[in-house]
Amino acid sequence: MQPIRYIRPSTVREAIAAHASLGDGARYIAGGTTLYDLMKLNIERPTGLVDVTFIEGLETIDTSGDTLRFGANARMADVATDPIVQSQYPVLSEALSKAASQQLRNMATVGANLLQRTRCMYFRNGYGGASGGAADYPCNKRIPGSGCAAIGGLDRGQAVLGVSDACTAVSPGDWPVALVAMDARIEVAGPGGERMLPISELYPLPGETPHIEFTLEPSEIIVGIVIGKNAAGARSTYHKIRDRESFAFALASAAVALEMSGDRVNAARIALGGVATRPWRADAAEAMLIGSDLTDDLAMAAGRAAFADAVPGRSNGFKVELGARTVADAIMIAAARRPL
Amino acid sequence: MQGAPFADRARVDALEKVLGKPIYGADMPLPGMLHAITVPARIAKGRMTALPIESAMRVKGVVRVFTPDDFGPAPVPPAGRYAPPPPMLIWDITFRGQPVALVVAETLEAAIEAAEVIRPEFEEQPFSVLADADNGVVRDAVDDVAAGNTMAELARAAIVIDQTYTSPTQHHNTMELLSTTAVWAEGRLTVHEGTQRSSGVQHDLARALGIDPAIIEVKSAYVGGGFGQRGPTQCQTAIVARAAMILGRPVKLVTPRSQIFHVATYRPMSVHRIRLGADAEGRMVAVRHDAEQEQSRLGMDPPPDRYHDAPPRIYGIPNYLGTSTYLRLDRQNPGFMRCPHPQPALFAFESAIDEMAIALGRDPVEFRLANGATTDPLTGNPLSSRFLDECLAEGARRFGWEQRNPLPRSMTAADGTQIGWGVAAGAYPSMMVPSIASFRVSADGSARIALSGHEMGQGIRTAIAQAVLKHIDIDAERLEIAIGDTSRAPQHITVGSWGTAGAVPAAEAAARRMRARLIELLDGRNVAGNAHRQLAAVRRPYLDVEVAQTAPGQDREEALSALRRGGYAVGGPEYPGFTAMSYIAHFVEVRIEPRTRRIRVPRVVSIADCGRVISPRTARSQIYGGVVWAISATLREETEIDPRFGGYLNCDFADYVVAVNADIADIEVGLIDKPDPMANESGLKGLGEVVMAGGSAAIANAIHHATGVRVRHLPIRIEDLL
Repeated sequence: MQPIRYIRPSTVREAIAAHASLGDGARYIAGGTTLYDLMKLNIERPTGLVDVTFIEGLETIDTSGDTLRFGANARMADVATDPIVQSQYPVLSEALSKAASQQLRNMATVGANLLQRTRCMYFRNGYGGASGGAADYPCNKRIPGSGCAAIGGLDRGQAVLGVSDACTAVSPGDWPVALVAMDARIEVAGPGGERMLPISELYPLPGETPHIEFTLEPSEIIVGIVIGKNAAGARSTYHKIRDRESFAFALASAAVALEMSGDRVNAARIALGGVATRPWRADAAEAMLIGSDLTDDLAMAAGRAAFADAVPGRSNGFKVELGARTVADAIMIAAARRPL
Repeated sequence: MQGAPFADRARVDALEKVLGKPIYGADMPLPGMLHAITVPARIAKGRMTALPIESAMRVKGVVRVFTPDDFGPAPVPPAGRYAPPPPMLIWDITFRGQPVALVVAETLEAAIEAAEVIRPEFEEQPFSVLADADNGVVRDAVDDVAAGNTMAELARAAIVIDQTYTSPTQHHNTMELLSTTAVWAEGRLTVHEGTQRSSGVQHDLARALGIDPAIIEVKSAYVGGGFGQRGPTQCQTAIVARAAMILGRPVKLVTPRSQIFHVATYRPMSVHRIRLGADAEGRMVAVRHDAEQEQSRLGMDPPPDRYHDAPPRIYGIPNYLGTSTYLRLDRQNPGFMRCPHPQPALFAFESAIDEMAIALGRDPVEFRLANGATTDPLTGNPLSSRFLDECLAEGARRFGWEQRNPLPRSMTAADGTQIGWGVAAGAYPSMMVPSIASFRVSADGSARIALSGHEMGQGIRTAIAQAVLKHIDIDAERLEIAIGDTSRAPQHITVGSWGTAGAVPAAEAAARRMRARLIELLDGRNVAGNAHRQLAAVRRPYLDVEVAQTAPGQDREEALSALRRGGYAVGGPEYPGFTAMSYIAHFVEVRIEPRTRRIRVPRVVSIADCGRVISPRTARSQIYGGVVWAISATLREETEIDPRFGGYLNCDFADYVVAVNADIADIEVGLIDKPDPMANESGLKGLGEVVMAGGSAAIANAIHHATGVRVRHLPIRIEDLL
């Protein structure tokens, strides 16, 4: 058996020191809902685990000031059912409650969820784990330079936005999409101190280096998520279309938050999931709405604008149409919600 | 003889299941148990040229790595069934994921780690795994199924529907993983394994291992879902048994789900071209049905001509021509998966019926009722019973069918949601197998009956209890029902909806004989109380009876001999002088979201004719399960194969999308419960398969009614309606 060092620090500083001391094979672990899965598939083979779930105060949910602040260890289920989040920021609550299953949401944390790795089947099933597939699929994420089996392969689930010649893997999350729409900032701590990172800067495009999935530095850890309170939150939704009605990743999803006076859209925040290689802010769709009276046709036009730069593969072209319609439905659902 | 309807009874094993008490194959606690894992081939076709095991043997806790060198030459399978590969390790690779080695270790973790460091060397050969590829597929036709003069009648028909329908590769995905636990002790081999075919496994093991079947016991008390995948002897069973015999310690293998996708059977992709002709009066006169299906290079099951079991026996269509072709590929053997042939065949046929009804301007329920049947065109014999018209009428009544606007796209909700109502019929052969039942009632208040049958969750124990308790007054709480155990009674394979037809007539016969023996024994004395008290009163510790039951028309000695040898002895659906089929009618409402085109199924009404209902509780449960699976098979499930690699890409529960609770809404079920006077002494017909038959077509027909879009492939997904 491959031995694994397991360390259970009680402060963030101890955690960073422990992680740094363990070297390249170290991984932080929180709910374990992704890491254990990837270990069974042989994709992750950590030599040391730093369990951050015993760090005190890291699970705090604070909605009292002019920001929403979620400690990294807050459980997805707890944030999803927080009364302020539920009533005033449905986009956040719905993004969490439509993810995974209740059992997983009870374990998984909102900080670590930001680092969930892609569900591309060639990425997951090609690495020889006893519970993986029986093929050695080329994958530039797993083995840089080995190629991408999904390009030219079974790509119904792959991304149409932000793709490169090296990778089309979808960024799988729901929560990061909602956070991108809400311009969340991420509190990061590391050996060099603490910093704040706009969430949009956490996720690089795959380009020629799809194995680089996050911009975190070695041993850096996410300690919190901060969102400036805003009026759009109350008029928001996370709309998720998938191959079944629960316990599935998105084929296409849209996080939408609006500020309106009458039918007129004053501010719009739109981000896409299930269709892109990173949580995708749809600036063109927002621009199309702002300053105009919202109609069904305008919503559909905004949806199409969001996908103007789409690059479909062999069998995921439907995501362009489905994604545009999902955005349009999300806009109309959000608009129908009245601010409190 | 067939008496009154049975009253409802809770599942006899419900409480122990809720308490987690039943011991499934992989849960058998055994001292000194070793853990095993198989190493899959990482090519799709070729030959393994080297199998270095040194690094695996260095993993702490590894006891042994078995290779093809540990196995003798492969036995010739009887009648070519289930080939290739034999249930043992061989050097030739015929499909991706074929086991090439077995690692046995003190812990599961050590076995997995060692298996993962084994990297065999292969010489790979070109391969073909998809029938739509232009190279490598071999078309292999079998005999036609024919009645009348189909091509001439089609040429004369006033109207012909000519369409092709496709159903994908799908995997069973039983909740319980496949497993084998083998014990070699005191010159006997005991195998604990969830199988639907204990005696068959026993005799296959004897052949593969070259030992006497009399020293082998196979025990399958509970199965966590079978659906046909646990019919054939699994790839791993003899390998694990041999490991246990060589090592002299119990060995357990639980096959990971990704490996099950690659080694166990699956529903093969099939293509059905239907040509359906009707005359000027709207009577259907002829059907030509060309069926093609995936198959391994040498495999036999499922035979493609059985796609013609159901379609000719639903309506009174005198002319039928069915062609049947294997599409041979470099895949592992497909097999029987719930409602094996009618599921894809009736998706095609009942879609075509709907297309015909629309072409003729007829209501699809009225059109089906107007084309009723009394005879089997393939044999000319009468259908023993056919209460399909009753199913259709009752289903239409409960569903509110008369409210349906026949025009497609005519029923739209205020928010633009499109509503569609669809109907389809289903049929499945009603077959019967032999059974030997031994029944003991004791004065101490206990009783036990041992017979053939496997409990996969369908409720066969409850049906057996119903049959016994109908004829004799004993303590139901203390009735032991021993099934799935080769040491208690010879076990026929329990598949094809014949489990109840095998067990219940035998159980009824045993109980009737017991009552007769008891009356003899009492010799006219009037003794109060149940059978136990009566035995006590006459100072008999117990009474034993044994009965043997066979299907109508079966050669009794031949059938019972096959049963004892773990063989296959199935009567029907073509019995001497009659044909027996079970029927169902499904009514489905779908709702399609106006913009994103999500398909929802808010309600289904399904009414089944399975002759006499033995166990109402579990029969209703079977219908629910069949409808749920029909929804899943129609709107969700497809096994994905990348032709560049072979094997299966979406080989886990995350990516092989089955319906979940959120996908299922109201399902109302009903049973006609009229005994079939010919099928067997209990008047019952099979139910477990027919419940799914036609369900896919009912959903597709409803989608057409909602949207005007006719989808002729499964699964029907969101992109089909965008």
